Amino acid sequence: MNRFQRIVQSATLMVFLLLLVCAGFPLPGYLPLDGFLRMDPLAGAAASLSARHLIVAFWPALLVVVFTVVLGRFFCGYLCPMGTTIDLVESAGARRGRPLNAPDTWRRWRPVKFHALAFLLGTAALGVSFVFLASPLALITRFYGNLVMPVVAAAADGLLGLAADWPEPLRVDGLAMLQVPVHRFAHQWFLVVFFVAVFAASRLAPRFWCRYLCPAGAVLALCSHRPMVRRRVSDACVDCGQCQRQCPMGAIDDNDPRQTAHGACITCQQCVAVCPVTAVGFAPGGRGPVVIDGVWADRRRLLGTGIAGAATALVSLSGLHHLHGREGLGRILPPELIRPPGSLPEDAFLASCLRCGECLSACPTNTLQPLGTAIGITGLFSPVLTPRRGPCEPGCNVCGWVCPTGAIRSLPLREKTWAKVGTAHILRHKCLAWEFDRRCLVCDEVCPYDAVELTSVAGIAVGVPVVHENRCAGCGLCEHHCPVKAQAAIVVEPMGELRLAGGSYEEKARSLGLSLVLAKNRTAAGDSGERSVSVPHADYPAAPGETAAPDAGDRLPPGFTR
Amino acid sequence: MKHPLSEPGRILAGLDGAAAPMSRRAFLKVQLSAAVATTIGFSGLWIPGKKAYAGVPDVAVAVGDIAPAVRKAVDMLGGMGSFVRPGQKVVIKPNMSFAFKPGTATNTSPLVVRELVALCKEAGAGRVRVLDHPLRREELCIEGVKKACDVFNEDIVYGVTRDRLFKPTPIPGGKAMRETDVMREVLEADVLIAAPVAKAHGATGVSLSMKGMMGLIWDRGIMHWRYDLATSIVDLASLVKPHLVVVDAIEALTTNGPSGPGKVVRYDTIIASRDMVAADAQAVATVQWYGAAMKARQVEHIRLAHERGLGRMDVENLVVRQERV
Repeated sequence: MNRFQRIVQSATLMVFLLLLVCAGFPLPGYLPLDGFLRMDPLAGAAASLSARHLIVAFWPALLVVVFTVVLGRFFCGYLCPMGTTIDLVESAGARRGRPLNAPDTWRRWRPVKFHALAFLLGTAALGVSFVFLASPLALITRFYGNLVMPVVAAAADGLLGLAADWPEPLRVDGLAMLQVPVHRFAHQWFLVVFFVAVFAASRLAPRFWCRYLCPAGAVLALCSHRPMVRRRVSDACVDCGQCQRQCPMGAIDDNDPRQTAHGACITCQQCVAVCPVTAVGFAPGGRGPVVIDGVWADRRRLLGTGIAGAATALVSLSGLHHLHGREGLGRILPPELIRPPGSLPEDAFLASCLRCGECLSACPTNTLQPLGTAIGITGLFSPVLTPRRGPCEPGCNVCGWVCPTGAIRSLPLREKTWAKVGTAHILRHKCLAWEFDRRCLVCDEVCPYDAVELTSVAGIAVGVPVVHENRCAGCGLCEHHCPVKAQAAIVVEPMGELRLAGGSYEEKARSLGLSLVLAKNRTAAGDSGERSVSVPHADYPAAPGETAAPDAGDRLPPGFTR
Repeated sequence: MKHPLSEPGRILAGLDGAAAPMSRRAFLKVQLSAAVATTIGFSGLWIPGKKAYAGVPDVAVAVGDIAPAVRKAVDMLGGMGSFVRPGQKVVIKPNMSFAFKPGTATNTSPLVVRELVALCKEAGAGRVRVLDHPLRREELCIEGVKKACDVFNEDIVYGVTRDRLFKPTPIPGGKAMRETDVMREVLEADVLIAAPVAKAHGATGVSLSMKGMMGLIWDRGIMHWRYDLATSIVDLASLVKPHLVVVDAIEALTTNGPSGPGKVVRYDTIIASRDMVAADAQAVATVQWYGAAMKARQVEHIRLAHERGLGRMDVENLVVRQERV
């Protein structure tokens, strides 16, 4: 590993992490927050295939491919945060005491990445996206955004908590008041297992993931069989085999160090650095000898894997919980399937969602969580709202803006307030007011759309909440704040959600008779006509004793007693 | 000797009863002044009444523009210096639970808060903190007040939303709620100033200083589901007692509170008192709720607080002074 590579890799990882940290609320819209994800050629190809249209947001991936044709797999060697992370783990000890390149006993695994690619393209051909199981950029984004950052934040918050208990003279004023937002996520197990496996595999061979498994690497390998600029060895070579032993990708032939599998080479130039006679260089043109990974010899098998992928897609499509066909009878819609505001219609959404977790880590209230198997394996780890954890903040639209594929549309704030994600329903048998005659109005109090109203009902001494469905956007502030334990007494379910592939949510919502105007705007815009600006101030308000309380027969204002 | 009003501002009323040993001199002083007061009182030399009373009123009402009215109301009570001693830690508790614009009267006017902070600073306060436990994303809720307080060039305004910033605290005077988690900053402060906005509240009639103390604890839900709301508000008021209450009735939300949108009526009034019950009672009397004049006793938690002796809701028997600025 040479110095230049180290510097570029560190800088790139820094930028990657910085963008990930910046992807939050309020959103610095001028930054290319999803830039790295959009450089993943596998994600671009598979998502475009399964979504049935070219996702133009992936133009950086195309650029990477073009540059790969010229320069080889420089992306893997220099830019990929996954590769850099694996290098980091290896140098931090995962390969301590092991040669940089042991004899490649795993040689037979080399085609696996091509098979993984064939499999994913096979599923994508049937409109099902499993790319989230293998796209390195999506996985590494989730790893940092949904696992590492929450752990770091929790640790930092814990430390700050300790700071509050320091005795007065030692205490740094204001330190204890810092509140690091701590996100919590479901299904951490997947990330833990996956990355422990990836890092552990590095003990078997350096960059095991990149060498044998990564299907994005496979795409780039296909583009770099004969890159324009490539490794060449001059006649000065003394056959010492240093380069072969030091190559992290095992790209140099075991018997003849002049031979290079360019598709495996990540252009790290380690071989250049270690050559005792400076016989190795990277240069354009010429016809050096070329070793191919042997994958084309296996075209029939690859086809078979592709068909296996398609078959897997068919199986998952035929599962009970897959949301097949149109909404209607016999289709099981799980109550927790509340998609982020602006999500494409479900089929298109699942086809294009990478499960990169960018929206999850950007969501300021942590309401976005990865889904389990509620809609079968095809929906695994896709984002859903979890109001009990946090509400969908009406003043925030970051999820759509950080989504690299447009699975969640990037809506302007005004449009977003009209993007109804579901409807709140009151479970009267749990409600403190309806069932227990308690004076509780929390749902009414917190509803930013003024969709919950307290009303009086015969036989119940206190005001009881009702939901005006046409005003409810499903933000879940009510469910989040409901003081009832376990399941809330007011819950948001996906009923009435709006899912538009294009066009205006406001227009659509208005045409359906919805009135999703934020309460604050209702007042300012006079939407409700309630506000008065009268100045009735008398010189001095009448002393309480002199004013008559409303007659006993009159209805009292809510909350007052006789 | 210290000014009696500067008695180190203990906010936990339940704890300061723990009788500190009194010196003989102080004891005699108290005895003497009590005797003198009794004599004067019974002899008819001093008749309680608005006209005759020249000292500090129980409730100060200032009518006018926001900042001058706040200043006037506090001045009528003897000035901020009678509440805040140099170097003391002050917590101001406005209502900043909502992410709505100022005109909706769901939050305390940022200008009221700014003026209070300025008054505290003028009085030489040490650390001033403006705190609430908001209902929405904290930065959205505190936005207005934080912006207004930018002039002070320091971190003053916080939405406190982390359980570690609250500390379990017994409520010795609690009837229903006997313990709760109170903001650490409040427990450590010398002076607490409540600065609620006057607004209607669907469950408690009004939301004023006593109701506002719910913004200084961690678990408010329990006051809804386990305890009687009015009773537990009074329990909380017996624990967390502001030294000064400044009610923002510049614009009051008179219907559909606490979150609105409702009818916002302009009263251009600031009500200040040392007695949270009296301040709230005066605010009830000042504002027409749902277009009707209501009495303080019709607000259950005010009545209960009065009955428990936490303060006085019978403002008609108190010295209420109003001035225009």
